[in-house]
Amino acid sequence: MVGSPVLLIAIPLLAAFVIPLIGMIWKELVRIIPGLVLAYMLILSATLLYYVSQNGIIVETIAGWQPPWGINLVFSPLTGFLATLMSALGFLVWLFSYRFKRNVDFEPAKKYFIFLMLLIAGAIGIVITGDIFNQFVFIEITGISAYALTAFYTGRNSAEASFKYLMMGALASSFLLVAIAILYSQLGTLNMADIASKMHTMNPTYKIIALIFFITGIGIEAEIFPLNGWAPDAYTEAPGPVGAAFAGIVVKAGVYAIIRMIFTLFDIPSAYDFLIVIGLITLIVAETSALRQEKLKRMLAYSSIGQMGLVIVAFGIGTHEGVFAALFLMLNHAVIKPLLFFSGSSLVFNSKEKQIAEMNGLGKRMPLMAAFFSLGAFAIVGLPPFAGFWSKLSVLSAAANEGLLLIIVLILIVSVIEIVYYFRVVNRIFFQEYSREKSAAPHRPRVNALVAMFVLAIAILVIGFYPDAVTGILHNASKDLLNTDEYINNVLQLGQSLTR
Amino acid sequence: MNTIILIFIIFLGGAILTFLAGMLKGILKEVLFLASVFVPVVLFFTNISIGQTFSFQAAGFAFQWGITPLSYVFALIVAGLGLMAAIYAVSAMRNKDNVSFFYFNYILTIMSMLGILFSRDLISFFIFWEIMTWSSYLMVVYQGKDVQTVGIKYFIFSAVGAYAMLMAIVVIYSLTGSMMIDSLIQSFPGFSFNMQLLIPILLLIGFGVKSALMPLHVWAPGAYSHAPMAYSSVFSGALSKMGIYGMVIVMVSLISHIPGGHWFREVIAWLGGITAVMGTLWAIKQDDAKKLLAYSSIGQLGYIIVGVGIGTPLAMMSGLFLAVMHALFKGTLFMVVGAIERQTGTSNLTEVTGLIRKMPWTFLAALFAIIALAGIPPLGGFISKWMLYESLIGSNHYLLVIVIFFSSTAAFLYCYKFLFGFFLGQEETEWSHVKEAPAMMVVPMLILAVSTFVLGVFPGLILNPINEAMQTLGYANTQGHLWELSIIFNEWGNQIAMQPIVYTIIGIFLFFLTFLTIKGYKETRYVTTKDISSSGEVPKEHENLTFSMNFMQPFFRAVEPLMRRQIDKYYTGFANGMEALFDFTRRIYTGNGQTYAMYVVIFVVLLLLFKNIIFG
Amino acid sequence: MDDKLFEILEFGVYGASILLILIGLYAVLTKRSLIKIVIGMSIIDGGIHLLLITIGYLKGGTAPIFSPGYEEAAGQMVDPVPQALVLTAIVIGFGVTAVALSLIIRLYRHHHTLEIDEIKRLKW
Repeated sequence: MVGSPVLLIAIPLLAAFVIPLIGMIWKELVRIIPGLVLAYMLILSATLLYYVSQNGIIVETIAGWQPPWGINLVFSPLTGFLATLMSALGFLVWLFSYRFKRNVDFEPAKKYFIFLMLLIAGAIGIVITGDIFNQFVFIEITGISAYALTAFYTGRNSAEASFKYLMMGALASSFLLVAIAILYSQLGTLNMADIASKMHTMNPTYKIIALIFFITGIGIEAEIFPLNGWAPDAYTEAPGPVGAAFAGIVVKAGVYAIIRMIFTLFDIPSAYDFLIVIGLITLIVAETSALRQEKLKRMLAYSSIGQMGLVIVAFGIGTHEGVFAALFLMLNHAVIKPLLFFSGSSLVFNSKEKQIAEMNGLGKRMPLMAAFFSLGAFAIVGLPPFAGFWSKLSVLSAAANEGLLLIIVLILIVSVIEIVYYFRVVNRIFFQEYSREKSAAPHRPRVNALVAMFVLAIAILVIGFYPDAVTGILHNASKDLLNTDEYINNVLQLGQSLTR
Repeated sequence: MNTIILIFIIFLGGAILTFLAGMLKGILKEVLFLASVFVPVVLFFTNISIGQTFSFQAAGFAFQWGITPLSYVFALIVAGLGLMAAIYAVSAMRNKDNVSFFYFNYILTIMSMLGILFSRDLISFFIFWEIMTWSSYLMVVYQGKDVQTVGIKYFIFSAVGAYAMLMAIVVIYSLTGSMMIDSLIQSFPGFSFNMQLLIPILLLIGFGVKSALMPLHVWAPGAYSHAPMAYSSVFSGALSKMGIYGMVIVMVSLISHIPGGHWFREVIAWLGGITAVMGTLWAIKQDDAKKLLAYSSIGQLGYIIVGVGIGTPLAMMSGLFLAVMHALFKGTLFMVVGAIERQTGTSNLTEVTGLIRKMPWTFLAALFAIIALAGIPPLGGFISKWMLYESLIGSNHYLLVIVIFFSSTAAFLYCYKFLFGFFLGQEETEWSHVKEAPAMMVVPMLILAVSTFVLGVFPGLILNPINEAMQTLGYANTQGHLWELSIIFNEWGNQIAMQPIVYTIIGIFLFFLTFLTIKGYKETRYVTTKDISSSGEVPKEHENLTFSMNFMQPFFRAVEPLMRRQIDKYYTGFANGMEALFDFTRRIYTGNGQTYAMYVVIFVVLLLLFKNIIFG
Repeated sequence: MDDKLFEILEFGVYGASILLILIGLYAVLTKRSLIKIVIGMSIIDGGIHLLLITIGYLKGGTAPIFSPGYEEAAGQMVDPVPQALVLTAIVIGFGVTAVALSLIIRLYRHHHTLEIDEIKRLKW
């Protein structure tokens, strides 16, 4: 073994606080250290994920306190998959933003990487913790670093976006705390497995109220409509790689938290239907709002919200296929959306207003970026043979197996809308005349950014041509999510602890 | 290595290599392009036998590729036309920007079409279908004209069709637990009536879009005319046939098993008939030859759909035969337009006239294709149309015969407009510098044109494979006694009955042609359109007096009520309404943080109020 | 303190915490000034903290500290977990408030106003 799951949280947290100190020694280290940390985390989580798939889940206790008393971390196929995904994306975000725009200066770079490390630590914490209050703390860590990263550019808009995000985030944390208070007062425990095993004893009214507060609190992070007012603003005003991190890391953590609540903690079957309905509403509102956007990143933001809605619909189907499809969607979204954000932010790099209209003819000036963007667009609307197709197919197939034909129709109609706005952009890039004044030299992304995009593009193609590369992991993960009893037993009997 | 997979690897690798070679100077990319079309096609003809399959598993689905007799017929179209158009394209696309991008998409289109025909399971069918869609979409927008209207319209319609098909596929999967086309066909009679209706309708929407069936055709004129002509010949000739291919399977293997589903066939046949009439009428009205051919394609596909929809043995055979013929002559005609556009810079029938002496070989190819299109013996178009009429009369569709006959007669008008407009008539001095297109463009056209003639005289060449295909679809074997099927075939089998007569007609025709040419050669005076000696009017300098100007005005006054309503307008209105609606609904995001907070509170309060209903 | 009084008191404290939360929500939802909104968020936090503490309180409870000689007092200890939670939540609330105030300063520099409905350049 290379290490224990706790390192996945501890190391980035440590790195975040060490970065400014190290910066005093050699300024470049501020940029290098996060990369090393993220690479280590990626290797660690991938190894652990392999170990877990062979030997069963790892339950790690903190400071020797046994569950249900102490805080414990659960590294199962599901959480391990998400943690690996997040570390990988974190690494790519680091790679892309190594010398990103304002990052060339020391001070902004220092802040940027501190908050990026905190963001990733928080998101991974949300996923692998086995304690709801601990989860709350990680949500807040993620939130605060996300507010700071949104306000990374010093313009007026970023402050505005950040403030809206903060307002919603503060409300979210209030609702979460109330929900936790209700659960604790009723069950006297904060351990997820313990809560799950005792849930049937709880008064149904309190149970439902707690669930509602949980859904609201986490739904704000998971961008459920109508709780997602902050999301388009934050995505638009945050730097491109941060937008990618939001889409790929933060939202994933939020969605994980919701489904963990509904699948494992609460035994309310109708909550699945609620997920389907709310997911569909999110999907439809977001995608229709994206249709007439003028700013590229805002369009991507709405698209991202819509994808999350689709993920929630897929989870709401509740069967193995549904969960599998949802996880597949999450994976694809985490691969594709960062590519869109990376290449999109490079395409509009020189423009002040980041308008889509300014992208006319950029395909001739920046062919590689345009090609990456188009690849991402093709993949996200689900055209074969790219990655998005398989996940869309599995969602539809899962819905068909449950006889939910109306859902299929709605998803497909929305997909058409998605195609329209993505292809409008692709058309502009490639097939319209260059409109900006010639003097503006096209922005050439640095090598590190190119490598990051290449990795994502290759991932899209690999998943597209050979989906079996990932389906095994996803099947394991979805089995893990659905098997609530095993989760409870493993945690309460301490499974296999690395510490002992 | 299995030949089937080898073919696709060569296509795919060839596409990528050709694209990369585009960064280099020289003719490497042309060579690679031709090789990556040529090699798989040769492999297909030499090493692929019907019934050979290749299976594998991926993503939890079973995949199976192999060729059936039916798909073999269509594969002949794809491979033959694809090869010819590839040779043509190399010359036609020379000196254009981004040629390697064109080549890339061209190879992918050919690959995906063969892939569709190879697919024995619905998933790979859909995957290849979508590759075909986006590669053809990239070709439609390739020239950068009207991309936001024509291109998007094409893609929206394709996407609607493809998604309808995808929905059908997942429903089928949930019902049968298998993605195989064969198992669908086997278990289809056992489905509930709703599913028996839903699945064919969804599939037909998908196929109808690609084959430009009436309410779904609005993308076609723009898309066909905006793609490079080298591609349009494949686009209209072969790609639209993929819709027909799917339709044949659905009509024969699924719809005939619906209890009391006879009216379904009638509906499809009538839609095809209406498509034929409207396509033809609109074609006559066009002044741009590309648009003319595009509408003509819609009309011709209408005939094919009538044949496939009626579904009697003769009708089906005529439909498939028409499909092959249409690929040949429409492929030729698009190439002709491409050649003319390349040499003169325009494809407008009211500008280009009198090219017969400038581009004689192109004229010859166009002449053959037009004769086949108009359905004049002895070319293939005649036989296929005859079979169609006979089958319609034989199955008591008298009204439909009238419709088809009207459309067929009206088609003469645009045939004439096309041929006369471009090649005959007075010569404009503007075009005196025009030369014949390069040999690499002319030869493929002539090959295709001659093959329309060959198939017209020896229809057995293509009717035998069609016959085999129809046997696997469950029709009786007509091998060797085609004459029982239609009076047009004689008892030697497989050859048209009137062959002696036909030869006589050809003889007389050739005699008069030579006679008139020799006689007329001396007396002909070459004049421009402005040189009107017969009438008293003196034309002004800028007056357009070409033949095609205001062609058939009285006719249009007669049919005007038919053409007043354009479906296109309804679609556009719908799309604009939707955009306005969505533009309105996105104002939910007011930009005021407090409003968002209010949404949260309202959300919670609503959930708390209705908690028993929602979570009860 | 008799049971009756304790119950009333407990009820009162619960009521007070909920009242605080509602007051805070009122401020967040209706006050225009950014500063007042942040104050409202802090009030909500305060209410929730009070709620949490109250949940963990026992009648006549003592501080949850084990010390030699007072082992039998374990039964009388208040639940320590909510207190730990509240401590953490206070820290977090403090952090959020600090970030919010710093953002307000920046917003004021750019917009020269603190009215929330005048700060909506990002919309739709």
